[in-house]
Amino acid sequence: MKTDLSPRLRVALYGLLCVLLIPFVFPTWWMLTSSVKPISDIFAFPPDLWPRRFDFSTYAKVFELQPFARQYWNSAYIAAIVTLGTMVVSSMAGYAFARIKFPFSNTMFMIVLLGLLIPSEVTIVPLFQMFLGWGMINTHWPLILVPVFGAPSVFATFVMRQFFIALPGELEEAARVDGLGRFKIFWLIALPLAKPALGAVAIFTFLHSWNLYLEPIVFLSSTQMFTLPQALTQFTDAYGGAMWNIQLAAATMTAIPVLVVFIIAQKQFVEGLAHTGLKG
Amino acid sequence: MAPVSLRSIKKNYGNVATIHGVDIDIADGEFVVLVGPSGCGKSTLLRMIAGLETITEGELSIGDRVVNELEPKDRDIAMVFQNYALYPHMTVATNMAFSLEHRGASKAEIAERVNWAADILGLKPLLDRYPRQLSGGQLQRVAMGRAIVRNPQVFLFDEPLSNLDAKLRVVMRGEIKGLHQRLGVTTVYVTHDQIEAMTMADKIVVMNAGRVEQIGAPLDLYDRPANLFVAGFIGSPAMNFIGGRITPEGFAAAGITLPLPAGNLPASNAVYGIRPEHFALTDAGIPATVLLVEPMGSETQVSMQIGEHQVIGIFRERLRARPGETIHVLPDLDLVHLFDADTGQRLN
Repeated sequence: MKTDLSPRLRVALYGLLCVLLIPFVFPTWWMLTSSVKPISDIFAFPPDLWPRRFDFSTYAKVFELQPFARQYWNSAYIAAIVTLGTMVVSSMAGYAFARIKFPFSNTMFMIVLLGLLIPSEVTIVPLFQMFLGWGMINTHWPLILVPVFGAPSVFATFVMRQFFIALPGELEEAARVDGLGRFKIFWLIALPLAKPALGAVAIFTFLHSWNLYLEPIVFLSSTQMFTLPQALTQFTDAYGGAMWNIQLAAATMTAIPVLVVFIIAQKQFVEGLAHTGLKG
Repeated sequence: MAPVSLRSIKKNYGNVATIHGVDIDIADGEFVVLVGPSGCGKSTLLRMIAGLETITEGELSIGDRVVNELEPKDRDIAMVFQNYALYPHMTVATNMAFSLEHRGASKAEIAERVNWAADILGLKPLLDRYPRQLSGGQLQRVAMGRAIVRNPQVFLFDEPLSNLDAKLRVVMRGEIKGLHQRLGVTTVYVTHDQIEAMTMADKIVVMNAGRVEQIGAPLDLYDRPANLFVAGFIGSPAMNFIGGRITPEGFAAAGITLPLPAGNLPASNAVYGIRPEHFALTDAGIPATVLLVEPMGSETQVSMQIGEHQVIGIFRERLRARPGETIHVLPDLDLVHLFDADTGQRLN
């Protein structure tokens, strides 16, 4: 977008943006640099923005103190399944709510949306009871089933519904004339066109699952089964004190893939949300 | 190719009736245009033929099959939509091949049919492009290509030119007409543009408020409109209407008496209709005060006042009259239309 800002205003604007950037960039910078500092340097005053000494052994210790690779895999495969499952459920539900006329569809959609208003802390105890009854405690099933059929999926259904509502009806009619039934219209016409919305759903679902904290600490008890957010709290010394540099090395390894995914897909993420009318 | 027959077709949305029992016979290979103002039910009727709307009552046949309960895919029709409805994520070639692929045609047959259609419509250089890379006219041609590739029994067009600019509309009008002449497929075409209807149709169906007002060849409708609605709708500029009364001395209107065509017409309240181009400039004519002169090059359009009535005349002559001046005009009595003032039906 072209704007007609005067050079002076442009400099002022960019200066302001740089100042506003600090609270967002500084924590990440602090995490990155502290992860390679000896623990005594982390609390040096005045603080060092650039490490005086580099100690990369912290990264090796992450894997020595915890089955970190296994925990990494746990988080990755759970997030992948949750993302895929949510995309399937939300795209089909969103399509049905948007394009198929059935009695009380709007009322049902409202009821589904109401699920978003219930905080997960409220349902965690009954969920624990339920999964305990099913013999799923200390398994990854609760971390997969709750998001795929719970609040994240409801939000994803909302995003997908908003996208499908805006899809021109003539496309579906043309497909009907071309010989397609309802499922093929969804699969061959509507879904490929929903890529931006699906991309947005994929990103925020992945992030939500990757960062899930409350559910893992309730449902998982063995370190082998832990996911990353839960594992990050376990880097402590014999007295329970945090091993900051090792913890921040683990945090760096946890955050980098997410940052990379977001940087690559941010355009699609914003476009996807724009289609839903959620963009500010 | 197949004839299409509509028998007492009705459409209700809940308690609201939108189509009130329509009967139309479309012959094999005929080009029929459904025309009427917005909301008259022409698109609904077309969509009922396509199978995209259910039929509340009546019988719809394509060929010798009653198709009321058949899905669109089973009716052997192809439709061109107002907004083209090309699949944005597919190339031109894939768009055109799509319906054949889903009907189990072989790859060789698909390639042959797509090439044939692309050849006819000049689409060969565009086959690998996506719809977003095409202009309005190209999109329209691809939409037609997608329709003809399947060799259906009936083509349905739903206001296909309404998104194009005026110049391109004229070009595409000719292309659609040419395509019909070449393929000879029964065609039902919906438009609100009466010029499109006049220039393209073998037969025009004029609709108003869910009813058929008149069915006929374009020039029949133009020359002998059955009622005031058709008379006012067909022709541009529209026919002039002057309210008054038929008397033995002529047509008595406010401030003027107009000559009547020969024939025994009973004295009654009526509407006198005369098309703008059916006025002649003659010294023996009726005095008319010039209000506005619009030279068009090939003709001159004049707004004028006759008695207390404002009318429009179109003359081949280059009229040099100025507003306020008086000219003398005479209606061509063979081309005067008289309508009943109460029912609107044609009298002569």
